[in-house]
Amino acid sequence: MNPLFDRLSSDFLPRFLGGVVVNFEIAGIAIALGLACGLLLAVARLYGGVVGAGAAGVIALMRAAPTFVVMFFLLNAIPRDASLFGVPLALSGIMAVALSLLPYAAAYIADAGVDALEQLRRGSPLGSLLFLPNVTRAFFVLVMSSSAGAAIGVPEGIAIILRQAEQLPSLGDKLLLFAVGIVFFGIPLQAGFAIMTLFQRRLSRAVMRDRAAPRQSA
Amino acid sequence: MPAARRAVLRLTHGLVWVLAIAIVLFAVSPLRAADDRLPDAALVRLLQEGRVAAPGACAQSGIDRLIRILCAGRIRIGVRDRYPLFGTRKGEIRQGYEVDVARAIAQKFGVDVEFVTVNAASRIPMVTDDRVDLVIATMGHNAQRDGAVLFIRPHYYQSETTLVAPRGLAVADWPDIAGQTVCVTVGNGSNAEIVSRGARLMLFDEAVLLPDRLRDQTCTLAAQDDSFFASYFTEPRFADRFTQKFGFAQVPWGMAVARDGSERLARALDLLGQIFHRDGVFLDFARANRISTGFLERQTAIWQRPECNTDAGSTNPACILPALSARLQPTSFAEHIAAFESRFAAWTGIDLALPMLKTTSAWSLFQNGVVNSLVLIAGALAATLVVGLAFGVALGSRFRLVRWPVRGLTIALQSSPIVLTLVIAAAVIRPMFAYSSAVALIAAIAALGLSNGSNAGQAISEAIVTLRAERSTSPMPGMELFSRALGRSATQIVAFLINAAKGTPIASFIGAPELLSALTDIASFSSGRVTIYSLLLIFYTAVVMVVVWICGRFRAFLERSHPPI
Repeated sequence: MNPLFDRLSSDFLPRFLGGVVVNFEIAGIAIALGLACGLLLAVARLYGGVVGAGAAGVIALMRAAPTFVVMFFLLNAIPRDASLFGVPLALSGIMAVALSLLPYAAAYIADAGVDALEQLRRGSPLGSLLFLPNVTRAFFVLVMSSSAGAAIGVPEGIAIILRQAEQLPSLGDKLLLFAVGIVFFGIPLQAGFAIMTLFQRRLSRAVMRDRAAPRQSA
Repeated sequence: MPAARRAVLRLTHGLVWVLAIAIVLFAVSPLRAADDRLPDAALVRLLQEGRVAAPGACAQSGIDRLIRILCAGRIRIGVRDRYPLFGTRKGEIRQGYEVDVARAIAQKFGVDVEFVTVNAASRIPMVTDDRVDLVIATMGHNAQRDGAVLFIRPHYYQSETTLVAPRGLAVADWPDIAGQTVCVTVGNGSNAEIVSRGARLMLFDEAVLLPDRLRDQTCTLAAQDDSFFASYFTEPRFADRFTQKFGFAQVPWGMAVARDGSERLARALDLLGQIFHRDGVFLDFARANRISTGFLERQTAIWQRPECNTDAGSTNPACILPALSARLQPTSFAEHIAAFESRFAAWTGIDLALPMLKTTSAWSLFQNGVVNSLVLIAGALAATLVVGLAFGVALGSRFRLVRWPVRGLTIALQSSPIVLTLVIAAAVIRPMFAYSSAVALIAAIAALGLSNGSNAGQAISEAIVTLRAERSTSPMPGMELFSRALGRSATQIVAFLINAAKGTPIASFIGAPELLSALTDIASFSSGRVTIYSLLLIFYTAVVMVVVWICGRFRAFLERSHPPI
């Protein structure tokens, strides 16, 4: 057996897998909230006029807000004992990371949503379905970005790896452990991207056929 | 024997006795004088004077608190009730080192003790408002507090900030914590020192969270008062896993009385403190309560020295410890900032706090943070562009030996969360160079450049491949193909440049001293967290919007210079 695995604590693997689940949990919350906010913004942007300009401004701000800074802002700007109508507002670490990813998710989904709604207006429901792979792609980006939680003590996958690495004596062992982490994160990510690319290509072909068919019939 | 001779003998005997008594008295008198100068005698005299004065003076107003205590037959002492090993309470039973000291004082005064619970916030007001006669409540003696209450000398204990970590972690002194994350509580006075040693901080609101975060491995290192960790180290499971690596920022603890009307009481307590140190009374209480005894052992040796063991020992600078000077140096414009904060609060009702402008250490951190952030952003943009172009050329190459390794590296970089990429960059670069801010910045620039540049490079290579496919019948020269690929992938390149700029604050994770890191450090030893992090968010959002604008112009330039076919 590789000496690295002898040096790892016995509960490393279950804790790491549990941490990866936390990454997916954070990404799930962020994408759900991002869908709600992003679609509203997309509709507002297509509404035009002042509302549309306002929505475009909000999307630009959200696009520019760095996730890491938003996370620290949320953690520090909201007092621990703050409440609204008796409901405590203090955020858990997981919620702080998820909400810090919200600006990115909402801005991305707003952009993709505008495209999808325009496709619908043009009478191409299949074209608007391209929204789905875009959202899935955003979800995988969010899974990767959720590792920012390591900086505030959220027990996600990368945090577990970093804690374990601090116990390893040599740089070689640490790099090997990091490589294991990359593989564990990379497999679902690359697989997810590959499936989405495949799905997107098929959908694009279907869209092209869909657009070509009326012309032929005409 | 003739009568005259007997009379001479008697006289001689008498003279011998007188002489002997005189010699003995002469020999003993210096000892008596020395005894008179011992703190014990001075205390006895002080208490006797008080007891003599007590019956008549009890009804008078403005009497010294010592007389009042002797009149009442009780002393009100403020102690903690939830500070393990120092002051705890279960029902009516109080325990701890400070409780034992309080009882011993009352016993020496010959009065009863009435315990009053105080906490960190209330202990000084309780004394100044005359709700207690004395506080013995884990209170560090610093120069600022000297203005509020009168501290008893000698100090009865000394704490220090201790760095706690797993036993196996190789940390022995300051050089070992550079670049590491240390968990601390907000507002701890020793945070500034940890920051100055190159560590990064993870902030917590309450100290009670730190042991749990050590146990669940959220924190690898935690810094807090050793008196706080003392109770945890009495738990075998905690002590088996963790140890105190080293201590710093020693703070002497003082009993305190009110500044007015407590002259005799303070004098009596000074003398009693000397006696308790000299006779090992404090030491015995410390051992009984299983708290650290190093300071008390040293103090016992000091107060046994002849020059300290006198009634003037408590004013002898060679015997007592100075108060801690914890005041941070204000900036030359601190008063203007404070005035602006007040005016702003009056106008808007919003408490604006700008601690980064009010002390020299915070101002220096802030300035460096802004400069380092801008350097980091510029470096990350340049690195992304360079890596993107290099990866684009390699990935678009017709040679597999060039293309495949770079493709493998690209997949690895895309699969690695940016936090991990940063840590890997820092881990690789640190053995080559001694830790410094510049090294952390270089590692962060390299990580951000590789992570975003690999994606940009892939976009360029995909453009190259599509251009080749489209122009398969009339191939373009290499440079023309590359420049047209740049035009075609301009949107993607710009997207990853913006992503690199947005990602720069994450460099604080490996100790790069950019603005997020600097402001977190400032927040750790000052107030105004809401303002600090709001300004931080505004700064970075504004900078990224400027980068977006610049990148938009760059994209337009690329598309104009290399129009897609």
